[in-house]
Amino acid sequence: MVPAAVEHPLQAFGNRVVNRIERNVNWRKLRTILVTAFLLSLIPATRYYQIDEPLLHWLRGPNHPDPLTLHLGGEFAENNLGSEQNADGSVTVRMIAEQYLFVPHCILVPAGVPVHLRITSADAVHSLAFIGTDIAVKASPGAVREAQLQFSNPGEYKTACREFCGAGHYAMRSALKVVPKEQFPVLSGDERGTCAAQ
Amino acid sequence: MRRNKRLIPQSSRSFYWRLRTAIILALALAAAFTATSILLHAGDGAAERIPSYVAWTPENIVAASSGNAFRGSLLAKRCDHCHGAEGFSSVGWTPNLAGMNTLAIWKQLQDFRSRKRTSRAMGPIAESLSARDVVDVVAYVSALPVFPDPQDNRVFPQAQADAAHSAIASRLITFGDGERGIPPCQACHGPVAYKVGVPSLMTQNGEYLLNQLEAFANRTRTNDINEPMRVIAGLLSEDERHAIAEYYGAGLGLQPAGAAGAK
Repeated sequence: MVPAAVEHPLQAFGNRVVNRIERNVNWRKLRTILVTAFLLSLIPATRYYQIDEPLLHWLRGPNHPDPLTLHLGGEFAENNLGSEQNADGSVTVRMIAEQYLFVPHCILVPAGVPVHLRITSADAVHSLAFIGTDIAVKASPGAVREAQLQFSNPGEYKTACREFCGAGHYAMRSALKVVPKEQFPVLSGDERGTCAAQ
Repeated sequence: MRRNKRLIPQSSRSFYWRLRTAIILALALAAAFTATSILLHAGDGAAERIPSYVAWTPENIVAASSGNAFRGSLLAKRCDHCHGAEGFSSVGWTPNLAGMNTLAIWKQLQDFRSRKRTSRAMGPIAESLSARDVVDVVAYVSALPVFPDPQDNRVFPQAQADAAHSAIASRLITFGDGERGIPPCQACHGPVAYKVGVPSLMTQNGEYLLNQLEAFANRTRTNDINEPMRVIAGLLSEDERHAIAEYYGAGLGLQPAGAAGAK
């Protein structure tokens, strides 16, 4: 029996290879898809820092404040930092991590009450770690990280940065002071970011 | 049941017609979102405490560092009387400008203009400058060299009042105090590293530095973005503030990290 002549150079590898190569491709559709994907990929790559531009801001939602303009207003303006009592008795704590400080530097919270921690960064990536525990909340620029905490015992909890952030990283520490619930004062805007108010 | 009956006939529009329509729709939506967002955020900043209107966006950094130094040199004639012709002042409580970072001086002048930093002397002077004047003056002043000049009438460097302070200061400047959460000065103010818009302290007058540290600690000066200096100055003791100010005022900050006084 004479073997059939090889019609296509790739036929030597078997019919499956040839079939795959000869499959019809809608090049125009593929091109449209690739170009669209490329253009979409440019959106975050072009000026990620300008996320306060209205459309991107709307798309990303309220949990993405611009790290460069935190102080100009919004959730992380100076007077909003620190612990704030909510109507349901829980406490919201807002913090900024920056090189090389946690602001506010010391925070007063009541014991036995849910604490909603909201933290963002003004520059590099930081991590608010509670010393002696394995709890750490990462603080990234351009994003708000949330953590739900509840402290059962009063006392002072030392915190430190656990993500290398620069020359002063190892001195980046702060404290969180937990006081009994009945001692927790109603803090006004000016004294929220301090432990001195008792 | 008529399965093949379509309510909408299949479009015979071209691909590009659809693309164009999609783009127009997307633009219209974007315009609508923008308008809504602007309207929603219009009244946001009513009760907020803003330390400084300066933000270190790339636009601001480019604008602040693109001054004309020659034009600035003419405008800076009126700075000479207090800040010295060579950028070194003849009294301790007036800051030296030579060797200062461009962005740092620019920010302070902007804050003086917007009254976010108050000074009886600098307030009216800064207000009389236009935005372009500020940028030009800053370009000139930050280019002034920091070489010693025996014929210049300057107070810098000034001998330390108490040499024992030197060890405290050098430790804080080099290592900070981790236990209390005080970062080292030189991690932001040089020479180890600089944050954007942070002034170099290496050729600054001690008396001026002390006044500023106390102003930060008392919160009479509040124009630091995200309050780093208010926090740190508040954490330092009276003694440590004096030590740091004298150390820098004596020109010891010019030396490499902790070379002077470290025992």
